[in-house]
Amino acid sequence: MTSTMTTAPRRWIGLVGLAATAALVLTACAPPQAAEPEPDAGGGTEAAVSETLKVGYISPVTGNFAVAGQEMVDGWNLYWELNGNEVNGVTVETIVEDDAGNPEISLTKAAKLVEQDEVDVLVGPLLANTALAVAEYAESVGVPNLHPVAASDDLTQRNANGLTVRTGSMGGSQANYPGGEWAATEGGFDTAVTLCADYAFGWESCAGFVQGFQDNGGEVVEQLWFPNSTTDFSTYVSQIQAAGADMVYVATAGGAPGPNFLTSYLGLGLDMDKLLLNCCAADQGTLRAMGDQIVGLKSVSYWAEGRESEAVAELIEAYKEFSGGNVPGAYIAGGYITASLVASVLEEQGYLTGEELVSAITESTFEDNIFGRVSFDEYNNTVGPVYIREVVKRDDGNLYNTPIATYEDVDQWFGQDPEEALQQPNYSQDFQG
Amino acid sequence: MNRRMLVNLALLGLLLVVLLALPYFGVSNFVLGLASTILIAAVLASSVNFLGGDGGMVSLGHGAIAAASAYAVGWASRQGLDSMTQVLLALVVTLVVSFLYGLLSMRTSGIYFLMVTLALGMLIYGLAFRLSSVTGGENGISGIAAPGNLHEEWIYYYVVLGIFVITTGALWVVSSSPFGASLRGLRDSESRMRSLGYSVAQYKLSAFMISGTVAGIAGVLAVWHTNFVSPSSAGVERSVLLVVMVILGGIGTLLGPLIGAAVVVLVENVLSSYVDRWPTALGLIFILVILFARAGVAGSVPKVLAKLRGRSPSATPPGDRSSPEGTAVPDRNHNP
Repeated sequence: MTSTMTTAPRRWIGLVGLAATAALVLTACAPPQAAEPEPDAGGGTEAAVSETLKVGYISPVTGNFAVAGQEMVDGWNLYWELNGNEVNGVTVETIVEDDAGNPEISLTKAAKLVEQDEVDVLVGPLLANTALAVAEYAESVGVPNLHPVAASDDLTQRNANGLTVRTGSMGGSQANYPGGEWAATEGGFDTAVTLCADYAFGWESCAGFVQGFQDNGGEVVEQLWFPNSTTDFSTYVSQIQAAGADMVYVATAGGAPGPNFLTSYLGLGLDMDKLLLNCCAADQGTLRAMGDQIVGLKSVSYWAEGRESEAVAELIEAYKEFSGGNVPGAYIAGGYITASLVASVLEEQGYLTGEELVSAITESTFEDNIFGRVSFDEYNNTVGPVYIREVVKRDDGNLYNTPIATYEDVDQWFGQDPEEALQQPNYSQDFQG
Repeated sequence: MNRRMLVNLALLGLLLVVLLALPYFGVSNFVLGLASTILIAAVLASSVNFLGGDGGMVSLGHGAIAAASAYAVGWASRQGLDSMTQVLLALVVTLVVSFLYGLLSMRTSGIYFLMVTLALGMLIYGLAFRLSSVTGGENGISGIAAPGNLHEEWIYYYVVLGIFVITTGALWVVSSSPFGASLRGLRDSESRMRSLGYSVAQYKLSAFMISGTVAGIAGVLAVWHTNFVSPSSAGVERSVLLVVMVILGGIGTLLGPLIGAAVVVLVENVLSSYVDRWPTALGLIFILVILFARAGVAGSVPKVLAKLRGRSPSATPPGDRSSPEGTAVPDRNHNP
């Protein structure tokens, strides 16, 4: 008796559970047919009157890098909202896909965008490994691939190809070389200690700074490396103290390490004027987290939200409205400038795809955009200004990285011959150039 | 019993026919690529399934074994070695890595086995991340071309399908052999098997070598499919997802890995195009399966069917068979 009493409800619970699972599995399978006609129908009707440039935008909007990934998408969308997505008779239609920062998913999404949605151009993704994987796939199917954020040197060096363009950022070493040059010359420092994230981006950033510093007569006395997961920087700060150098260069990949380092460093009463940070250690996230105590902090980056420029002011105003008062960081700027470059070549030359789109971008010089004057080298990498920035508080209560020195037309070769530079091994702890 | 086997065989045959016919349905390369991705994930999941289902050893390091084999192919291809050498090197690396895994974990069981495999997986991830002169660091190795005609999506699909059928069949044969029976004996009571004179550690090491080899094969298939390998293939997340696939599909079942792999890969790659919170959906599916269908999809469907048929005489054997298999792993931990 008791056994039949208990199995009956169990059977029902099991059935309900199965049905729910089946429903979920079905929703996983069903949408491709259900949702696909929408973009097609939209594109189809518009194509009758004008051309449509279909853009596949891959970004990690979920997972560990969701914040950066979402900013990269926001920057792109913001441009089209602000300026309208119809340029010179060409409608720009964007399909955003999430890769969760996983290269296998990035590749499947890229294949989906190219084969099912038939996009004209792929934009993104964000992380170095995903970017390199997608760049190679895009080249194999003849689709241009623009990179708004990815900073891996190799994207436009050892793995460069004719269809991959770094449009919205700079290589890790490229963006930091001027920092070393500035520190050794105008900064007036003779010796330096570096603290960089212990993986490719940190190695490249440090290599840029170290070469810039040494080429201008500086001496790097010690190089320290921290794992990305570090939360307590006090041991590193005491090692920095013990090294006794004139200045400290710090490179992180953004996120928590920047504020965590500054908290330890300033908490021990060390001198903020000796610090030079990279782009991401002093990004808007850090500025918002640390507040007024870091006014005057110096850093080096290709993006300076405090620069006096109409284009920058326009972006800041639009983003403040969009985000409820925040100042845009480098990922927003990367998405935004990529959109503006695409819009600008469409404006000049009308509908373009494939190699034509790539060469239209890379053969142009873009004056006065949000980065300043930007052109491209023959490896399709951004050549543009790098700013030494100082944190300034403005009347609106926000902190801005404001330029105190500008290095124009910085390329990725530091005066070396490209072919020779490519013979070197990749930057690592052991090889800093 | 006989009728049941016939039905199962017919179903398997039907599935195989559908899979064989897939390229002729006029599907796009994207869909074929997705199908290959699912089959590759299924091969990898079946290696975890064999170890977990028959041996009661749940590994959190199999993603890293596959990655080690993929890195061997990648490194060899970067040195300009031909594809035969690439495969040989991958095989050697896989065997060495599996042997090390097995050697270090053969005297452990339950949670300790999990920890040892987790640690070894982290070790391989760390090497992939830090040993940048060999592995390319975070950037990974790209441009690893599949040999010959294999870069044609439909040809590659058939290769993957063939290898999936072979490995699944081989694992089934091993599992049905006396060796498989001894493994299940180990799973259910190690002390009893030891007292019967079995060398527990030897059996575990052999099981790990078999499972690791299958994982290595999946690694080669994956790297030739994506032409790319990076540390994320060796990460813990990947290995955890493999265990999720196995449990979703039904641990210890023949087709469980395929079903679980299909669910996970489709959620990751297809559902995510339409639903922002797809990781939540995946979590929800997993929780529902754990709560209501602990034997997984492949394990629960026969049970439910049998129950629906009510008092039919063939109702008891499937229920009896699947329940110890489905609950084998949780129960194991309570054994001395």
